[in-house]
Amino acid sequence: MTTPTHMVELRDVQMQFEEKKVLDDFSLKVEPRERLVIMGQSGSGKSTILRLILGTLRPNSGTIFFKDSEITRLQRRKLQAVRQHMGMVYQYSALLSSRNVHSNVALPLEELTDKSRDEIDKIVDEKLDLVGMKDSKELLPEELSGGMRKRVALARALVLEPELILLDEPSAGLDPVIASVINELIISLSDTAKVTSITVTHEMDSAFRIGTRMAMLYQGKIIEEAEAEKFKQSKNPVVAQFLSGSTEGPILEGSLDAITKK
Amino acid sequence: MANAHAQPPVLVAQGIGHLSRNFLREVGGVFWFIVNTFQETFERIQKGRVPFRATSFFRHTQRAGVDSVPLAGLVSFFLGLTMALLTGYQLQRFGTERLIPGLVAIGFTRELGPLLTGIMLAARIGAAYTAELGTMQVSEEVEAIEAMGIGPLRFLVAPRMLALVLLMPCLSTVSNIAAIFASSLVCKAYFSIAFPYFLDLVKDSLLIRDIITGILKSFLFGLLISAIACYRGLTVKGGAAGVGTATTSSVVTAITAVIGFDTLYNVVYTTFYPI
Repeated sequence: MTTPTHMVELRDVQMQFEEKKVLDDFSLKVEPRERLVIMGQSGSGKSTILRLILGTLRPNSGTIFFKDSEITRLQRRKLQAVRQHMGMVYQYSALLSSRNVHSNVALPLEELTDKSRDEIDKIVDEKLDLVGMKDSKELLPEELSGGMRKRVALARALVLEPELILLDEPSAGLDPVIASVINELIISLSDTAKVTSITVTHEMDSAFRIGTRMAMLYQGKIIEEAEAEKFKQSKNPVVAQFLSGSTEGPILEGSLDAITKK
Repeated sequence: MANAHAQPPVLVAQGIGHLSRNFLREVGGVFWFIVNTFQETFERIQKGRVPFRATSFFRHTQRAGVDSVPLAGLVSFFLGLTMALLTGYQLQRFGTERLIPGLVAIGFTRELGPLLTGIMLAARIGAAYTAELGTMQVSEEVEAIEAMGIGPLRFLVAPRMLALVLLMPCLSTVSNIAAIFASSLVCKAYFSIAFPYFLDLVKDSLLIRDIITGILKSFLFGLLISAIACYRGLTVKGGAAGVGTATTSSVVTAITAVIGFDTLYNVVYTTFYPI
């Protein structure tokens, strides 16, 4: 088997939860510094893809690579080491509720590096400043709004300077201004810090603002994959219906015929 | 639908098989959970790093140990009092009330102290551990920790486990002292046994091996309760309702396991070291 040169590669991945097949011979390649956006209906398996890349879920079959590491074969210790090169922002932020903002962001540095307290404080301040949360560092997650939590989660994901950042619905539930702030931040990360990102969303505005490449997940497969402008003009009826938000089309019928009629 | 026409004996056998399978699965689950926690913790130590922060450990010892002292002390005090009073009147009929101090001291040091403390901590701390870790599990906090490359067993479970394992013998000792003290009050008030004589009688009857047995049991109960509680917490499924179910199940399982393990321990111990 050839070792990939891509940042992330999923090959023929099958993922099934009990009776429900979520990913069916799913394949995907992500190039370095790319900002890939995966779109799809709620419950279509978008978040599952991120969890498979992180290795917190194991596929039923298929292989997953992060650079030259085969995630699906790694033992716990090596997997933990690989994960330090990735940052994940969860849909509901997943901040540790018993720790304040500063401690949440400092956690990976405290646990995984030998940095001194002063160095950690400096990095945490820098990352919180980047997301505009420096003044809230003493607050507990329960005292923050959804948008603030998401920004803290982003700061936490960035604190170890990851090469790959995985974002699960980064702008869902945020006001348009904060959503734009997050979008711009993700774009600037790939421009300045050379971070590759995979974003999973069904928010059109964010998706087209962030993405350098778009992919549409439908019935366990990527049915369309293109650069943002080309993707908008896709002739695929599923993509067209999804982008227009129309009730007329193959999505609600669940028809597979429409997808093959490219 | 093969079951629809099955005969009652078949159904009973199926039921027993099903229960046995679930039981063994749970026992295996807890066993591997303990093994993995140890493994993750030692891997971290091998790297020359502390497995968890001292502040985290002391926060758990404070909650599991220091904050449990009043409960363990009070319950054991009342039980010691009752035990001395009830056995005292029976022994007095034979003129052997001077056996009360030894009876309470041995009874508590070997058996009731660790057992009572185990049951109390399973309810008080085991439930808290399960609810806490269960809530973290359903709110994706545990997964987030794992996603950062931090071992959740080492980070979340190891400090809780160590706190309970180390604090159980201390709390058992508090329980023993409270019960023996209570019985000394009863002996003085009802059976005219003065404190110095009471102490002499305790010292005469209590053997080092009684104390060691009790302490050893306490360590094991601490491990058992913390492992069951944390395992239940980290395997929660089904949101808030799941946390509730897991907490109840954790307390019931831990108390049953403590009592069952205590019985097993006594059987093995008395077989190899008959009194």
